[in-house]
Amino acid sequence: MNELLESLRRFHPEITLTAGLLLVVLLDASGIKARDALCRILSAATLVLALLLCVPLYEAGWSGELFGGMLALDPMAVFFKVILIAASLLIALAFGSSRELLGLGQGEFHSLLLAVTVSNLLLASANDLAMLYLALEMVSITSYVMVAYIKGDRLSNEASLKYVLFGAVSTGTMLYGLSLLYGMTGTTSLQGIREALATGFPEQNRFAVYLVTFLVFAGFGFKTAAVPFHFWCPDVYQGAPTPVTAFLSVAPKAAGFAIMLRFFLRGMSTAGPGAWELDATVNWPVLLMLISAVTMTVGNVAALTQTNMKRLLAYSSIAHAGYIMMGVVALSENGARSMMIYLAAYLFMNLGAFLVVTLVHYQDGTFDLRDYAGLWRRAPGLTLAMAIFLFSLMGIPPLVGFMGKLYVFAAIVEKGQAYYWYAVVAAVNAAVAAYYYARVLRTMIIDPELEPKPLLRLSFADASWVSFFVLANVLPLLWWSHIDGWARASLTLFAGR
Amino acid sequence: MITLQHYLLVSAALFSLGLLGVLTRRNAVNILMGIELILNSANVNLVAFSRFGTGNLQGQLFAVFVIVIAASEVAVALAIVLTLYRLRRTPNVDEADLLRG
Repeated sequence: MNELLESLRRFHPEITLTAGLLLVVLLDASGIKARDALCRILSAATLVLALLLCVPLYEAGWSGELFGGMLALDPMAVFFKVILIAASLLIALAFGSSRELLGLGQGEFHSLLLAVTVSNLLLASANDLAMLYLALEMVSITSYVMVAYIKGDRLSNEASLKYVLFGAVSTGTMLYGLSLLYGMTGTTSLQGIREALATGFPEQNRFAVYLVTFLVFAGFGFKTAAVPFHFWCPDVYQGAPTPVTAFLSVAPKAAGFAIMLRFFLRGMSTAGPGAWELDATVNWPVLLMLISAVTMTVGNVAALTQTNMKRLLAYSSIAHAGYIMMGVVALSENGARSMMIYLAAYLFMNLGAFLVVTLVHYQDGTFDLRDYAGLWRRAPGLTLAMAIFLFSLMGIPPLVGFMGKLYVFAAIVEKGQAYYWYAVVAAVNAAVAAYYYARVLRTMIIDPELEPKPLLRLSFADASWVSFFVLANVLPLLWWSHIDGWARASLTLFAGR
Repeated sequence: MITLQHYLLVSAALFSLGLLGVLTRRNAVNILMGIELILNSANVNLVAFSRFGTGNLQGQLFAVFVIVIAASEVAVALAIVLTLYRLRRTPNVDEADLLRG
């Protein structure tokens, strides 16, 4: 009983979000005339409150198990909670002008948004295989509904169909792997798995452990859009309403990386002095290194020929998943820190790019890259903002995207010579990526318009949000020591009881 | 005497049949049946390991949760397939081919 009360005391953000979710559902069902606007305000207020409730958790710096070992709370979980809630908050506030969601009920959208947020938080702090699977499915099922949000739209429906079929198979495969892992180790807690793996396995069972690791990775790969589990990504990103696409490209991805980090560092490595050490039983960094190298290559090469902005950004997000995974492969504190910083930077650069795509679609009703020609003449400010987001995605200093890349490359290079080829592959990939980002820039600035279009005017709210994202990409460098310090302080991953 | 190995063989067969069904069927409802087979193969594993191997109940508990998840997942998936049918008058997934490139 005491343990339960103690756990509830450290569970405030999730409780707030759940209460807010129920209130939004009630409000939406109430039939008040202004309910759409009220739902939006209520959902934003809930998210702000949840974000504020993370502050005491950060200051306490406590780490341990909650609810009988189902969840873990540690500074790293708090870091991811902040990123995940911030992503939902930015979606709720900044993506108000979306042509696709016009005329559709906002209440359901915001209740789904809050539901995904709660499940993201649970996923990022899952400490038990059962909780991990439940949270992963909860994120997936709610995002299937979000993708299908435009009911009469064929593209939205097709995207959600592909998402649900691909997702169900991937998570089912992961579940099969988890059941075998339970059978091998005799426990569902990550701590128990670590202990069972550390005592060693007979040599002939090694292949089984690798196979199970790959099966389990199917679920993580699906959530983070890593090759070979990325096939849903371009179709879903293109068909889903743009605010949902923007959300899927940052929040569930960040939660997927959080649980990937926790599963591999907590369940499949031993805590060494200061950092983590590889468990003798399964050499998973090699597996992840290959997957990550292929992921970034496939994403970047496929993005070269895309003509639809949403598809282009989808392939770009696959490539970024490859870079972010470098942080897990490094298996060190610097690796974990680089991943956290990259994800935080990615939040602002990718949401910024998707916001510009949303605003152009609001005016012109198109996602086609060719229709971006002449944007420079029609909306110089917006084009400049897009250029900054693209430079940030490219990794040009002094933008935040550069800092993210700097950290992951540093974490890999310091691992020694065996990892150099991997760093070279990533560097070549970053150069390839610069080509297609620059192609978007060229279309916007140099290419002549196909037909003359009127000037593109933004509302004050939209213009301020675009400027907010621009500042979020440029300014953090001024306070970099604070951000670095925050990430450094969040490096504690709960280990052991 | 039925041992753990028998259960594992059954579950591996179920998993393979499910995967085969998913990969070869065109009708979305049949694909969903394949997905159910995959989920239930994991359930057989979990319960069998719990009964024969590990001696704790965590596996059976896990299996109960999986049943709940499977039901909710199929509910959402069927709703999406119904919308597909309303929009295109077909339950076949290979006719949903607007998104490509």
